[in-house]
Amino acid sequence: MSNEVVVSIRNLTKRFGKTVVFEDVSLDVHRSEVVAIVGPSGAGKSTLIRCVNRLHPFDEGSLQVLNHQLNKGSQFPSKQVLNDIRTRVGMVFQTFNLFPHLSVLENVILAPIEVKKVPRKQAIQQAMELLDMVGLSEHANKYPKRMSGGQQQRVAIARALAMEPEIMLFDEPTSMLDPELVGEVLDAIQRLAKDGMTLMLVTHEMQFAKEVADTVVIMADHRIIEKGPSREVLENPRTGRAQAFLKRVLNPVHATELEREVAVGHGGGR
Amino acid sequence: MHIVGLYISPIAIGALKDLILTILSTLLSFVLGILFAAGRLYGHPVIKLVIGWYVEIIRGLPAILQLFIIFFGLTQIGINLSPLTAGLIWLVAYGTGYAVEIFRSGIMDVAQGQREAASALGLGRWITMRKVIVPQAFALMLPALTSFVVLQLKNTTLLYLIGYADIMYQARLGADATEAPGTLYLMAAAAYLIMSLVIGRIGYRLEKRATAYR
Repeated sequence: MSNEVVVSIRNLTKRFGKTVVFEDVSLDVHRSEVVAIVGPSGAGKSTLIRCVNRLHPFDEGSLQVLNHQLNKGSQFPSKQVLNDIRTRVGMVFQTFNLFPHLSVLENVILAPIEVKKVPRKQAIQQAMELLDMVGLSEHANKYPKRMSGGQQQRVAIARALAMEPEIMLFDEPTSMLDPELVGEVLDAIQRLAKDGMTLMLVTHEMQFAKEVADTVVIMADHRIIEKGPSREVLENPRTGRAQAFLKRVLNPVHATELEREVAVGHGGGR
Repeated sequence: MHIVGLYISPIAIGALKDLILTILSTLLSFVLGILFAAGRLYGHPVIKLVIGWYVEIIRGLPAILQLFIIFFGLTQIGINLSPLTAGLIWLVAYGTGYAVEIFRSGIMDVAQGQREAASALGLGRWITMRKVIVPQAFALMLPALTSFVVLQLKNTTLLYLIGYADIMYQARLGADATEAPGTLYLMAAAAYLIMSLVIGRIGYRLEKRATAYR
């Protein structure tokens, strides 16, 4: 992790109509830093990282991505700025979102050829290397629907990497996968982290976050409730809200019991 | 049998004319339909409104009335169209109204995630349309498009009402001259049935190929 800040989020607020998705969120991401964003669903984690590559606009605050200042409101940044951000920031989605009518190889080479104008031959060569890296080079000519979820997600990672991004956004990359397929995708992500890629990862895999992330951010109730070095945050959370959340995900059955006791203890007068 | 022999070639010629009109009007309707659908989805609010009303009018008015307005109605303001021209204009205008809706729903049915994935990769709007959305929308739309072509083919029968010599016109002529309406209308029916079966078959083949990835 270097000192260079590549994503700077300052007091960011996002609403859908009158519903607040998140408010007053501030976070700096440094080059080669791995930031895991965890928290209960509906906290605004996915929407936050979607603001970084401008899939979503935001309403208040400021956001700087790779030295580009993004403005609040629904007005898109200039074509060059948007293009620069989108090519330098890759994204992997919860539902893979591979292009089903294109083969695995075509999925990977489409953007390099169309956006970066890489010659087809070179794009194919590069794509095969990436597919090899995620262990799927022999599936290059298959259609995505013929593959397992874990394989599809690894293709999606290769597709994003083909643009040679500096930052990768992962939006719950393993939550649609069967448990036995989670490992292969996490392996691929871990390799990226080791290679020094800057990662922003929304996840429910606490163990993975603890091992791979430099920084863990816990979002709940539409704001960041805790952030810091991953071990510190996940092993000794300071706020009660963070403790309750972690207890619930790390030990679901026991935590519910505990909460009920707490609730009975405190709310006895009702 | 004598009657069949006598009228088979006028009906075949009529069928050929209908087929050419169908193909021509379908192609033009598809081109306009795609443009209008894009306008209705992504255009300026005024464009959206105009196209919306256009679709309502085409869907809301009886087909014959539309044809008569174009062929007879326009003469009142000095526009005299030949049956062929008027017929073609109407077929395209009518077809476009329906094609807009087929294309619009096809484009909308392509999952939002596909657009997001394309955006996240930096693909522009036009490339996203051409390489990602339209190929998938096309596969989704093929059954509706096949029905559309058959509908256009059947619509050509109405052109006989403005004096265009298509299958229906020839059959009607023969029915009046020979007092064998059953034979002649059955011949016309056979001609239409053969053509619509061929269209259906082609549509099915295309659909199989377009959805091979599923």
